[in-house]
Amino acid sequence: MPDVTIECRDLSKAFDGVHAVEDVSVEFEAGKITALIGPNGAGKTTLFHLMGGSLAPDSGEVLLRGRRISGLPSWETARLGVGRLFQDVRVFGRLTVLENVLVGFRNQAGESFWKAVVARLAVARQDRDLAAIAQHWIDFVGLRGFEETPARALSYGQQKLLALARLLAQGADVLLLDEPTAGVNPAMVKPLLALLRDLAKDGKTIILIEHNMSVVIDIADWVYFMDEGQIVAFGLPHEVLGDKWVREAYLGL
Amino acid sequence: MNYLWHIVNMAGIYAILAMSLNLAAGYTGLLSLCHAAFYGLGAYTATLVMVDVGFDFLPALACALIVTALLSLMIALPSLRLRGDYFVLATLGFQIIVFSVLYNWVGLTRGPYGISGIPVPKFFGLEVDSVAKYALFTAVVGGLGLGVLWLLAHSPFGRLLRAVRDDELAAAALGKNVTHVKTIAFVLSACFAAIPGALFAGYMRYIDPTSFTLTESIFIISMVVIGGAGNFAGPAIGAVLLVLLPEALRFLHVPDSVAANLRQVVYGILLILLMRFRPQGLIGEYDFE
Repeated sequence: MPDVTIECRDLSKAFDGVHAVEDVSVEFEAGKITALIGPNGAGKTTLFHLMGGSLAPDSGEVLLRGRRISGLPSWETARLGVGRLFQDVRVFGRLTVLENVLVGFRNQAGESFWKAVVARLAVARQDRDLAAIAQHWIDFVGLRGFEETPARALSYGQQKLLALARLLAQGADVLLLDEPTAGVNPAMVKPLLALLRDLAKDGKTIILIEHNMSVVIDIADWVYFMDEGQIVAFGLPHEVLGDKWVREAYLGL
Repeated sequence: MNYLWHIVNMAGIYAILAMSLNLAAGYTGLLSLCHAAFYGLGAYTATLVMVDVGFDFLPALACALIVTALLSLMIALPSLRLRGDYFVLATLGFQIIVFSVLYNWVGLTRGPYGISGIPVPKFFGLEVDSVAKYALFTAVVGGLGLGVLWLLAHSPFGRLLRAVRDDELAAAALGKNVTHVKTIAFVLSACFAAIPGALFAGYMRYIDPTSFTLTESIFIISMVVIGGAGNFAGPAIGAVLLVLLPEALRFLHVPDSVAANLRQVVYGILLILLMRFRPQGLIGEYDFE
């Protein structure tokens, strides 16, 4: 039985008459890596916004383990287990690398203003514990030594790695990754893909928007091809990438 | 000597006021044009409770905090969902409303006549009846308030405020209830502004609405911007600088009639120069992009 964690049913969203997403029905399974590919403007990022709660659909729904989440604000969707890596990265520019990752953790007692003052010793202890875990993720993504650097001083690729470390701290089990390898130095791509495979093995649901076909062929278990707001093809990577339409319209072959 | 103590008192009061605005504007990115209104609400509530009800200073301060918290919540709830610029306009509206009420509700506030005869604050039985003693009093009460503010700023809560300031969308994607966070930051900031209001009332022993105008709100913003937003000590430095500035002009033998206007010109020039060459202020972290 496929373990579908998140799915969209007949999802539609239009902006000023332009159908960004049109009657999209897709399913994503736990323990699998699914790639969402297609030309620019196909609606892939819009679909992620709809799934993540930054946008509400005009019609249709998004279900997380059977529960309707479309229309919920993004902070609620995030608390229910959906994590996002944005195409334009979105790190907290004036915070340090370490602070960025620390913000990611859930259920921090110290984020309550009351506890921050009244229970400051317990809060300090929790923060120290979290800092150790944060350091682990910072080391993992290859940003060791940059802990005290303000995030805005990092390069685009480094910021992407930081956003990934922050996402790992969040511990979400559905990961919406918008072009995770774009801008990342080639030496880092292999460990990054290995990490994604490990996360999938751990049971996480990984959904990638990707333009890099070698990445798609390397790790995707399933592919959806999207064009002009609609799902036009789907299947195993080699099936979709071998499809005539896809090859002409998208791959330029 | 008394004159020096007076400057210390005013610098202390303004330092706390500037640091209260910093919590909302510097740390959370919420530019408030109504902090003079919160300052005034603190002053008037404490005053009315001391003069009309007969409470001592500390219970009056507690009342000032409660009233200011409630009123700031009333403005925050509808406004914090508005996009940045519109939020600023909403705070402008609130500042104007509060001043209007203080000025026109003569039955409650005595309007433009102001309220005099504010009793000398009693601190655990001791009367704070000299300018020098008041400086110590301000240091103690203010110090406690700033201690709490320091704990907040250097905690995961403070870190969360700065994250929300830097990128609301990313903070929400991490599961943070951004509107809730902004509301708490704004209400806390208002409460911390009420403290110097009560201190001011107990010090001057007379208050009137002209101390709590939009111009005053802008003066507070200037302190934060000049000293440095988003940094804990920056606004205090800005406050001290701007309180000392008129004294410096006096020292240069500028006649009083000219000095008042010259002061405004100097503030304006300072702000423009800083925005051009050092938008983060003297020691700030945030540059109001």
